[in-house]
Amino acid sequence: MMFRRLLIANRGEIAIRIARACREEGIESVAVYSEADRGAPHVRAADRAVFIGPAPATESYLSTSAIIDAARATACDAVHPGYGFLSENPAFARQCEQVGLTFVGPPADIIERMGSKIAARQLMISAGVPVVPGLTAVDQSDEGIAAAAGRVGFPVLVKASAGGGGKGMRVVRDHESARTLIPAARREAIASFGDGTLYVERLIERPRHVEVQVFGDTHGRIVHLFERECSIQRRHQKVIEESPSPALTPVVRDAMGAAALAAARAASYVNAGTIEFLLEGTGDAAHFYFLEMNTRLQVEHPVTEAVAGVDLVRAQFAVAAGGGLPWTQESLTRRGHAIECRVYAEDPADGFLPQAGPLLLYREPAGPGIRVDSGVVEGGSVSVHYDPLLAKLTAWGESRDAAIARAASALRAFPVLGILTNVPFLIRLLDHPEIRAGRMHTRFIEEHASELLTVPDPPLEALAAAALGGTAPHTGDGNSAPAAPDPWNTIRDWGRDR
Amino acid sequence: MILRDSRGEYRVTIEQDGRVSIDGTIVAATVLAPGELRVGDTGHAWVCASGDARWVFLDGEVFEIEVQPEGRRRRAVSSHASLSAPMPATVVRVEVSAGTVVRHGDTLVVLEAMKMELPIRASVDGTVTAVHCKPGDLVQPGVALIDIA
Repeated sequence: MMFRRLLIANRGEIAIRIARACREEGIESVAVYSEADRGAPHVRAADRAVFIGPAPATESYLSTSAIIDAARATACDAVHPGYGFLSENPAFARQCEQVGLTFVGPPADIIERMGSKIAARQLMISAGVPVVPGLTAVDQSDEGIAAAAGRVGFPVLVKASAGGGGKGMRVVRDHESARTLIPAARREAIASFGDGTLYVERLIERPRHVEVQVFGDTHGRIVHLFERECSIQRRHQKVIEESPSPALTPVVRDAMGAAALAAARAASYVNAGTIEFLLEGTGDAAHFYFLEMNTRLQVEHPVTEAVAGVDLVRAQFAVAAGGGLPWTQESLTRRGHAIECRVYAEDPADGFLPQAGPLLLYREPAGPGIRVDSGVVEGGSVSVHYDPLLAKLTAWGESRDAAIARAASALRAFPVLGILTNVPFLIRLLDHPEIRAGRMHTRFIEEHASELLTVPDPPLEALAAAALGGTAPHTGDGNSAPAAPDPWNTIRDWGRDR
Repeated sequence: MILRDSRGEYRVTIEQDGRVSIDGTIVAATVLAPGELRVGDTGHAWVCASGDARWVFLDGEVFEIEVQPEGRRRRAVSSHASLSAPMPATVVRVEVSAGTVVRHGDTLVVLEAMKMELPIRASVDGTVTAVHCKPGDLVQPGVALIDIA
């Protein structure tokens, strides 16, 4: 039976995405919010909202007890964790089930097994899925990890066993740098995941990151919904994702789809998940290796929704409620090309340093084939407490070129002012000839930093706009009243197509 | 008024008819809606004010331009620098002490915020004259962590 009332254990754009799916499905939605998120857009998007604690995530969005209490107090029968926060926390999934709340995601033991990179690797090896050569040191001291790195052979990637999103991960090229990089990786692993266990993998230079969306139901059926290319990353976090991958030949695409299904079957997977692969080489000779499985809905799920014409969140509800998958492998097809750009509050010129502050002006673009998932509004502010993702812009087109042109054109009409964002940087990425040609790898941004970070001098038009800029609707100093628009200017624009 | 960016200063006057003169060059500008303008022949700009700064979005680029009303003097530029946190953060490591000679770009302090390590680097060449933080401190933006002279 479909749920009556569902608690959304998240914030920002993904909470709004889930609230919309609830409304379409006739499910009442309950948002949760911290002190920092009073009046946030996700609170308004849901039918009800419950206050769950102070701004730091550990005391609010990461507090299993606060969230379960909120779900029980509002008589919810299900919880959707979104991504991040508690989405891959097996203890949370288990507690939900224990108090009679359906967790919209895989069972706790699957999250647990796939969440341990070490256990997941073992499982994939036994299922015949290729993995990157690597080692988990029994001796987890800094010296033990350094010794394991030496045995795998430099350069290596030191990773947090509990990790994800590049946190607790370092490229180590020699014994010398290992002395500082291993403790840094461990500190970040402990801070992010509360677990400092590290492991070591052979570093594949300039790989592509290609992942496959999988979906299983409780009746033993598993399908894949094609791949997403996510090679454009900074600080090991994805910036641009697209589907189909321009790197896969039909032969490699079929092999990767089959490997993803084998991986999902080995995990007895239920609900939405993603099998991430590293791709090395080109053409039919390219090799792929299992990287990890994400046991949740991905940030970049709109890319798959656009090319496959599906609604992954509503399918998650159907499967969590015990129903069968809404598709068969044969019924799933792809059409056209989709590309997603993540708009972050960050300063690309300063090492992508996250930015916090007021959104004095924030206007989203719209148009054919353009989808914007966002969690902020003009006049709001970006808090230091959470991820700096402001919005995801997904463009669909009949071809890759058409999708990129739409994305670039939409970004040129996506002004965000008052706080630095990566919008200009995203446009430079989309305009880059190598990316237009589909030739990218996970170190692309690093290797092309100087061209991508070149900021032009302001043209005279920008100076003219600055001179007339006192008429903004929101001003940072808070004491200058917004200027009323000149009626003559308004009238002059009647009928103007913009 | 005077506008200033990283390149220099521009003398700007707004003409009676709404056009803008920049060092004698005339640029057409029409306000379309609050914060939204048509500039030059085909430019579409968005702009907002934050104190003396103007943020401009034009053709996918963002410019921060300082506005100085006539008759006000510019603050003196100093070779001294105080480095502060860009946001509330926790100090992970302090890599210098009073007397350390540093060069522009050297890492002075490593902070952690939003679960990421953020290096604070020297903005000038000089000698560290004071350290105002230690590992574990919670620091606020705008408060000096390190002084360099």
